[in-house]
Amino acid sequence: MHLQTTLIIALVLFSIALIAVLVVRPGVTATRGGKVMAFLVLFFLPILCATMGISSELERSKTTKFCLSCHIMEPYGQSLRVDDPSYLAAAHFQNHRVPADEACYTCHTNYAMFGSFKAKMGGLRHVYVYYLTKPPAPENIKLHEPFNNRECLHCHLGARSFEQGAVHNADPDLLPAIKANKVSCISSGCHEVVHNVGTLGKVKMWAGQP
Amino acid sequence: MIYSANSLERRLQLSGVLLILGLLTEAVCLLWARPLSFLTFITIGGAFLFLGVIVYLLALLPTKRSSKSDNS
Repeated sequence: MHLQTTLIIALVLFSIALIAVLVVRPGVTATRGGKVMAFLVLFFLPILCATMGISSELERSKTTKFCLSCHIMEPYGQSLRVDDPSYLAAAHFQNHRVPADEACYTCHTNYAMFGSFKAKMGGLRHVYVYYLTKPPAPENIKLHEPFNNRECLHCHLGARSFEQGAVHNADPDLLPAIKANKVSCISSGCHEVVHNVGTLGKVKMWAGQP
Repeated sequence: MIYSANSLERRLQLSGVLLILGLLTEAVCLLWARPLSFLTFITIGGAFLFLGVIVYLLALLPTKRSSKSDNS
């Protein structure tokens, strides 16, 4: 368990103990000191605990482990270990082009205003589909909307390998079209092999640790 | 636990019980890193904490009886 989570739990238990004292002996609030204590214990500390808890939960919800905790996502986790550089997600994960412990979130969040909020709302939809409907097979899972190049360009825009790459510059119209999201980075003939979970049984896996 | 005969103290006790339930929910959810724990914390834990704080704030408002006694 992370130190931050341990500290929050300790604060929560400390708050519970203080609240329990007030519940058992409410008469202590008759004095001025008791009133101040009641304010701290029944207002300030719960709000502090809730704020810290929400912040901790939101941070944890970005982790690769959290995303892969749903059974249906396991093949997507395996696809990060494919020993083939043409697999886009695997190449990013294994070479630390994205933080390994936040691999899913880094590519699948929305790098626009309220992007994190939209990503969380998308996550809520996943929970709804997973628990309250019949979820599709892993290989049939589709994105809510076409993958926006903005998410790739958040890191690659201005990078030499992207701006001066031979393929990217073979056609003078291609680079502006990519930047304008008119040609998708993952379109056919480009970086089209992303997770491809349907073919995982036929590929070699990397045994290393990212 | 014995509920106090005093109205203000009874409300503070109710607020405390709600807050304890909310904080216990939070503590359990923090131990369990799964999407369902996140949702449980936000919905059930959040509701208990919100209600607990609201009951505490309402307890601070003067009641009709205490207002009358203040005027007399």
